[in-house]
Amino acid sequence: MLDLKEQIIAQLNLQDIKPEDIGDDQPLFVEGLGLDSIDALELIVLLQQQYKIKLSNAEDGPKVFKTVRTMAEYITAHQAQNV
Amino acid sequence: MYIRATGNISPQKTFGHQPLVDAVAYTGNRLACIEPDYKEFIDPKLIRRMSRIIRMGVAAAMECLQEADIKVPDAIVTGTAYGCLEDTNSFLSKMVEFNEELLTPTAFIQSTHNTIGAQIGLMLQCNNYNNAFVHRGFSFESALLDGILLLKENDASNVLVGAIDEITNTSHTIINRLGLYKQGEVSNLDVYKTKTKGTIAGEGAAFFLLAAEPSATNYAKLDGLHTFYKPDNIAEVEKQIVSFLNRHSVSMNDIDLIFTGKNGDAVSDKIYDDLAETVFENKETVNYKHLCGEYPTAASFAMWLAAISIKTGQLPAIFDSASNKKINKVLIYNHYLSIHHSLTLLSAC
Repeated sequence: MLDLKEQIIAQLNLQDIKPEDIGDDQPLFVEGLGLDSIDALELIVLLQQQYKIKLSNAEDGPKVFKTVRTMAEYITAHQAQNV
Repeated sequence: MYIRATGNISPQKTFGHQPLVDAVAYTGNRLACIEPDYKEFIDPKLIRRMSRIIRMGVAAAMECLQEADIKVPDAIVTGTAYGCLEDTNSFLSKMVEFNEELLTPTAFIQSTHNTIGAQIGLMLQCNNYNNAFVHRGFSFESALLDGILLLKENDASNVLVGAIDEITNTSHTIINRLGLYKQGEVSNLDVYKTKTKGTIAGEGAAFFLLAAEPSATNYAKLDGLHTFYKPDNIAEVEKQIVSFLNRHSVSMNDIDLIFTGKNGDAVSDKIYDDLAETVFENKETVNYKHLCGEYPTAASFAMWLAAISIKTGQLPAIFDSASNKKINKVLIYNHYLSIHHSLTLLSAC
């Protein structure tokens, strides 16, 4: 999850934020890290670029991008499917 | 109309309304803006999406509005020739790198020429008139003209007008290849002595709060603006200058100081040299592009210099002028690549 946090920081250019500042279960959007809809698009691109995972159903977005942990679980599940 | 406030980020120490005393020297054919700590002016959450030119533009605009003590202007008008080049470069590079797939949205969204005006509007929650002009060497002048018209037609009582252009590694390389910049060792402080082809690259973000009504804190009165395109010869340039002054009932004797856009290029500077022997003969002329470099909206730097010179009544110490005569009326004559020519007339309030 540390790698994923680093990738999120780099992709979203989250200045002055370190991986340890982002809790595994901290909400990424609104009240948590304060991300918005443009960031959601950036995270979709991150999944495709880094993990070759395409978010096929847009309605899954809120669930997948809820926290770093939900993202990591989604990545793990889809990477297993791709093997 | 009046210039009530200014904000300027340039290759000199112009931000923060400090007196302009010592010129910052650069070696090489590229001058880069001296940037402030943006966190004082821009929410850190917003900064992360802003490229360098957007930060510069927004910070200069915020400084200008702070000085004017205006939270929301009646209009925001910007001029830029290059737009947000760094974002454009990033977006296009990723298109190539990822074979036109997996494009990140931020660089694309931020790459448009109206990004800075839009960002200022968003930050201020200003839904008023917001326009951006992209007319190469007339970009700043077009924005200024729009601001003037808004005030003259009573569509606004104050207008934030600004000019923004950046030089990036990619654009510098391309323009350098086109032969616009000097080659070899060159210092900006000696650029007028070189007598060789080419100039030095510059960039900047300058904003002005124009107001219809006078106030005790105004910098200067903006009396006139005129642009002309590709004059046939020097005689036409002279005719344009004389006719511009006549239209404003001003003679050359009334002008205390002329800012000219000389940039060290032996070819295009000939126009200024010729004028020095005719219409500008015996007038105090001051060059400014050794301070900001050459870029399509450099006339905005000259207008900032003219405004502060009129406000204080004298040239900033950086020019080391021997004249003690109070500066009341200033003419700015600038041309970009001998194509886009502009005249601006300012006077004391």
